[in-house]
Amino acid sequence: MSLVNYIYLSAILFSIGGAVVLLRRNAIIVFMGVELMLNAANLAFITFARMHGQLDGQVIALFVMVVASAEVVVGLAIIMAIFRSRRSASIDNANLLKA
Amino acid sequence: MPTVFEAPEINWAAIAPMLVVMAGGLIGIVVEAFVPRRRRHSVQVALSVVALVLAFVALVTLTVDNRVKTLGGSVVMDGMSVFLQGSLIVFGLLGVLTMAEKFGGDRPDAFTPMGAAIPGSAYEAAADRAGLATSEVFPLALFSLSGMMMFVAAGDLITMFVALEVLSLPLYVLVGLARRRRLLSQEASLKYFLLGAFASAFFLFGSALLYGYAATTDLDGIAAAITETRPGLEPLLVPAILLVLVGLLFKVGAVPFHSWTPDAYQGAPTPVTGFMAAATKLAAFGAILRFVYVGVEGTRWSWEVGLAVIAALTMVVGAVLSVTQTDIKRLLAYSSIAHAGFILVGVLAFSTLGLRGVMFYLLAYGLMTIAAFAIVSMVRQGGTEATQLSQWAGLGQRHPILAATFGFLLLAFAGIPLTSGFTAKFAAFAPAIESGTLGVVLVVIGVLASAVTAFVYVRIIVLMYFSDATSEDVVAAEASPLTTAAVAVGAVATVVLGIVPGPVLELAAQASELIR
Amino acid sequence: MTTPLEIGAGETALFWILAPISVIAALGLLFARKSVHAALSMIVVMLIAGVFYIANEAPFVGIIQIVVYSGAVMMLFLFVVMLVGRDASDSLIETIRGQRLATVLVTLGLVALLTVVVGQVTWGGAVGLAATNTETGNVTGLAYLIFGRYVWIFEVSALLLITAAVASMVLAHRTRLAPPPNQRAWAARRFREGKHLAGLPAPGVYARHNAVDTPALLPDGSISELSVSRVLAARSQVASPERFADAQDEIEREIEEGSER
Repeated sequence: MSLVNYIYLSAILFSIGGAVVLLRRNAIIVFMGVELMLNAANLAFITFARMHGQLDGQVIALFVMVVASAEVVVGLAIIMAIFRSRRSASIDNANLLKA
Repeated sequence: MPTVFEAPEINWAAIAPMLVVMAGGLIGIVVEAFVPRRRRHSVQVALSVVALVLAFVALVTLTVDNRVKTLGGSVVMDGMSVFLQGSLIVFGLLGVLTMAEKFGGDRPDAFTPMGAAIPGSAYEAAADRAGLATSEVFPLALFSLSGMMMFVAAGDLITMFVALEVLSLPLYVLVGLARRRRLLSQEASLKYFLLGAFASAFFLFGSALLYGYAATTDLDGIAAAITETRPGLEPLLVPAILLVLVGLLFKVGAVPFHSWTPDAYQGAPTPVTGFMAAATKLAAFGAILRFVYVGVEGTRWSWEVGLAVIAALTMVVGAVLSVTQTDIKRLLAYSSIAHAGFILVGVLAFSTLGLRGVMFYLLAYGLMTIAAFAIVSMVRQGGTEATQLSQWAGLGQRHPILAATFGFLLLAFAGIPLTSGFTAKFAAFAPAIESGTLGVVLVVIGVLASAVTAFVYVRIIVLMYFSDATSEDVVAAEASPLTTAAVAVGAVATVVLGIVPGPVLELAAQASELIR
Repeated sequence: MTTPLEIGAGETALFWILAPISVIAALGLLFARKSVHAALSMIVVMLIAGVFYIANEAPFVGIIQIVVYSGAVMMLFLFVVMLVGRDASDSLIETIRGQRLATVLVTLGLVALLTVVVGQVTWGGAVGLAATNTETGNVTGLAYLIFGRYVWIFEVSALLLITAAVASMVLAHRTRLAPPPNQRAWAARRFREGKHLAGLPAPGVYARHNAVDTPALLPDGSISELSVSRVLAARSQVASPERFADAQDEIEREIEEGSER
């Protein structure tokens, strides 16, 4: 086996992540698709680091994790805010009260 | 591989402007925690203005003699960085002024009293009565601005990626904090966030492939790897460049990555829209310029046509769709898409003159955009912004000065002579014509698209002056000196850059050098 | 250059076992009907990625991946999925006609492009990191880079974390606008409204049993609905007091019988 297999895997995971973002209609799952894409990029960075015999790729992967976790917090805060408004809006919704 | 620790040399003078803006944001967070609520707003505004002025002073005094690559290559302070950072600080200052506008109320008019309150709930009303205000918007804007300053000065792809997130994350939040039509605002925030994160993932994967190709993410290292060629690895190069460009073109709102632009522009609080339209566009084009000119110019022939197609599409789609808009904010959003296309034409000139033209265009466009959105935030019906075009009918008869200023700015958007829009278009298109057939074709498309957008703008001017008002209660709110100053600066700059563009063009020419 | 890297049978086996699993789990994200299942399959992908990092001579990043990513970040996702509920989540973004087909085509195109590209590349001998990792040590080497070459990014990532904290405060934290009502305020309000002046009736207290889910009985033997929390009532978790009352009657009857004897 050669290290290229990891790159293949990374490319496949990246594409699946892209498909998740474009196909799913649920904001949380869409966001998970983005996370999958970031993970795929990290796998590529780590594999290339090993190919080149450098640690730089690993450091970059660490920074990507920091960025991704900050992004997750902001994203989930936005999603939570929206869900709270929507749910309360639907309580006031006349259509629902009739049912 | 380092076997002993080597501390990087840090040129503090070169990064001082960025550090000042960051410090302003950090102090702003502390202010949130310790200053009593009723004084927070004025303290935050004063702090932001002081930080930005100090940053500008630092930029003018310190970075002139410190055109260096520092911090191990993460920061490159060359002429382009200094010019664009200076423009960003000016945009930030005008943006803060418009965000602080109260329109006679007791708190910033554009922002919700409490972001966590459910729209329309009793709690929101109570928060409104209690006089709460989201004064966190000022530190967030400063953080975003510091990210933009890092973005235009980033010397490697990973710094660019982190800077991209530093500039984006606060913006995602700011977009969702509008005071009125909050559901729309929150939805805009979510859409902007999801698509922005999607685009930055593309940027990152492209960077990973480029790292695989060049064994470094430094732009000069990538350029070196391209010239000496990596046998066997060649096929990686073009897809990697395209993926990175997708991420960057998303931020400028180029077609087909533009779908977030109208929604985010419409949903965001209007001062944030102005800031975003001016500053994000400038920052993203700064990064595109650096990536394209410093990093991957060596293999230009392989992706140039793709970028040209995107530029042409962007101009055409932006211009054509702006014809059908009925909402002024959406219309300006499509106009900003068209402008992104015009600027891309300048980028594709691949010359020092092109660089100068693009930088001048970005500055001129940003100034007129902030002023235009500030005026949009002033036109009201029943206390809320009158963004429907039909509501603007007859505005010229009741508010002649306001309407005249807006009309003038629209003419500048259209690129009519004697406005900065004309000089900017000339500065960006002329080098493109010299660059070859591709450039000429793009310029022809650009001029035709300009004609279409000019039709749209003239229609609005006709609407403002020659139609009768549909309802009498559409009025321009009494603006405080803050907004007035922002509008005045934008409008005066548009005149001055249109009539005597010489000094600024000269400045841009001096600044069009890139440290590779 | 050092000698080209040899990849052992162990790693090959590991790859061919785990890689298909991670692809299947990633597809789970695409096809799962419930967000919880999607989140769980995401965790599988991330754990396997962590294992692959360790296999790729990046032990520190691998451990961080497992601890921080699948541990903390995905738990946050799961938490939000639980909070939001799985029903309220759809139709957040408007659907565009023909988008599904276009997406499938675009995705297949992307997969094809990337795999063809990767396939066309001829890879020279990989260097490997074994030497570096034993010489300086993986963590030490990373630290040299983080605080050396990449110190600017390291410092600036602080801004990201602060932004994240501020964002969650701005979007989720609600200030208490009035002080919480104390006992005196409650009493004043009861008298102002003129209802339940003595407070609501306590739940049922019986000789054999007392519990907040058992309603009190009024003098006429009927149930006082006011005496149990309406939350319990809404969840239909209210116990019936009848068997306690019956037992009590039984005892009373026995006592009466005893006294008659």
